[in-house]
This record gives sequence, C-alpha cells and structure tokens, in this order.
Amino acid sequence: MIVNDITEVLNNRIRDIQKKILSGKVNLLDLELVPLFDELKDSLTVHNLEKSSETYKNACFLLNKKFDELRSMLSSLESEKQFLNYLNSNPSDLELYNLLNECWRKIFTIDAISLDFLELSQIRLGIDRGGPITIKHLHKAKIKDKFLLEIPKHKFTEKMMKFYNSILKKLPCSLEDIFEDYTEQEIIYENFVYLLHLLQLGKIKYLKETNVIYL
Amino acid sequence: MNEISILMHMLSNKTNLYQIGATKRDILHTLNVKNKNKSGYFQNLITNLSKYIEPLGLQIRYNPINSHWFISYDSDISDLISANPFDNKPRLAATLFCTLVICLKNHEGISPITEIEKIRKKKNILEDLKELEQKGYLEIEKDLNSIKLTPLIGYQLDIEKLFVKLALKIKE
Repeated sequence: MIVNDITEVLNNRIRDIQKKILSGKVNLLDLELVPLFDELKDSLTVHNLEKSSETYKNACFLLNKKFDELRSMLSSLESEKQFLNYLNSNPSDLELYNLLNECWRKIFTIDAISLDFLELSQIRLGIDRGGPITIKHLHKAKIKDKFLLEIPKHKFTEKMMKFYNSILKKLPCSLEDIFEDYTEQEIIYENFVYLLHLLQLGKIKYLKETNVIYL
Repeated sequence: MNEISILMHMLSNKTNLYQIGATKRDILHTLNVKNKNKSGYFQNLITNLSKYIEPLGLQIRYNPINSHWFISYDSDISDLISANPFDNKPRLAATLFCTLVICLKNHEGISPITEIEKIRKKKNILEDLKELEQKGYLEIEKDLNSIKLTPLIGYQLDIEKLFVKLALKIKE
C-alpha cells in the first residue's frame, strides 16, 4: 500500500539519521526535525494509525535526543562566563540589537472587563463548600393506632370572631347563658377557649362577683 | 464562570506597568485550591487555558523576574516590529542587553554601574541608563552607583529564548 510505503520511507529516513549521528557525520543540533514531523502528520490516516504511531515514536526519540544535546551544550557553555566573554569581545550595537530581535513579545491584557463582576465570581468560587448533602431516613415512631393530624378548616381568629358575633346579641349575660345552646362537650370547650381569648383581648369583660359577661 | 475564566482574568489583569498577571500562589489561593497535589492541579489549569487561547493567537508566559504568569500574543503571528520598544535605537538596546546579562549574573537583579560600563565599553552609559529608567526597565539607585531591573523586561522579552540564541551564536 502507498500509505504504508510513506511511513516506511520515514522510518528508513529516521534510521539513516540515527546511523549518521552515531558515526558523527551529522550534528543533531544542525538537523531540522520539523519537516519530518510535518510529513508524518500529513501521512496520517485512520488506516495506518498503528504504523504511524511507531514512526512517531521513533521521531520523538530523535527530538528528545536533540533536546538533550541542546541542554548539554548550554550547560557545557558555562553560560554566564561565556556570555560575559562574548560581551567582552566587543560586539557591535547592531549585533546585540539583532540578538534581541525576535525575542520581543506583546503582552495581552484585558482592560475593559468588568472587574466587579469577576471579583464577585472569584469570591463565590472561593467559598468553602461542604461535602455532598446526604439524605438520612427518619425513624418512624411506632404507634398503636392510626394517627391523623387534623388541620382546622378555618383560621383561629376567624372562628373566634364568628363566635364573638354570635354572642353579641346576648350580652350582657351570664357565662351559663352563653353556652346554653351547645350540647357537645367538644364545641363547648372550643368556644370556651375563644371566650378566654376574647377576654384577654378586651373585646368582652367578665365580672366575677356577678358571673356576668358584658361588653 | 469557572476556573478557566477566573484564570484568564488573573493572567490578563494589569495592576501597573510592573505587575501583570499573577503568581502561582495567588492563583491557587484565589481558586481556593487545597488539594495535596497543588502543583499538578496548577499545571493542568495552565495547560487547559493554553489549549483554549492558542487558536486566538495567545500564549501563556512566565516572567522569571517577579514569578508572574501572564498572557502574550503568539510571536509567530504578532507584529514583532511594533513589539520592539527599541526600534531604530540599537545603542539603547545594546546597553539594555549588557545590563540584563550583568543583572541576571548577580543576585537579586542588582548591578553596579561600573560593571556595566566595563563590559559596555562606551562613554555616557549613565545617559543610556537614565533613558532606560524613563522607559521603566530599571531603577537607578540614588547614589548613582548601582541599578536594579524592574519586572518589565521579563514581560516584554523572552529571556530564555534570548539566552538560547546567544548560546547558539557563541557556538558559531
């Protein structure tokens, strides 16, 4: 296959370079590896992934070697001393100027961004968060009979005022007169509670001596 | 708003001429990172943001003078001529070059002016240094005996790349 041939060509080239390096014919630092990687990238298809990855591994080996060479070269230079020696050799202003060229860079800053918004977001992001919430099941209390929580149909005040309006015509009268129409103990108790509240609120008054409720 | 947005804000934030971006410690503190593997987390953050901004022609950089991480335009696509603050001023650029080498050799980026004069081999170095001070690259001590680099040059100049270029030049 043609595709396989390309990766094979690249593999052969890598092997050839390695031989030349070992024999001292080629210095890795002078060797341009970018075209090799470009060719490898262009030859990559879904059909030759396996073979290309092997070639890529071999190419990376060369690249690592080149990095090692560069590192050892830099350390062998005793950089500081070498740099000073170079400067002592009286290079021209233009030469130094050219060395600085291509090393300049333009800084990217954002001035128009909403700092308030971002700082608020920073604070929000920085808030300590606890662990995930765990839901605990409640323990059921054991009861013998069915338990029903009865909710009154009307609000307490409404019912109290309804009771108040119903006794207005009777007043003044004795305490017994107020409850004479009621027979059920539960209702009497309920109304008695309303009566106590009405007394506390001052809507009605009670004279203990005569047992009379009046306005 | 997520970590990447916050990081983008911190790295592109300019407090003043000498303080752009943020230190690793500032970033980890702001993001409330308390993991054991803080450095690994930080590295991941930087790598991820780098992937996001690369298609926009932006790169994450490190200023070795004040240990700040910041963002710069990709040198391959940005206008290097406009980025060069010494266009048509090779003398000033050469003085800065010598100052940089001397300062980075000495501890804390401080250098006696006599040492720069010795290596520069030019008259009126003090005038150059004063002009560089006006541009914000260095501070001249009151006694006029020594200078100190400001972090500005660490932002504007790829010092590592410069030294590699210099090393290759020496090799020639």
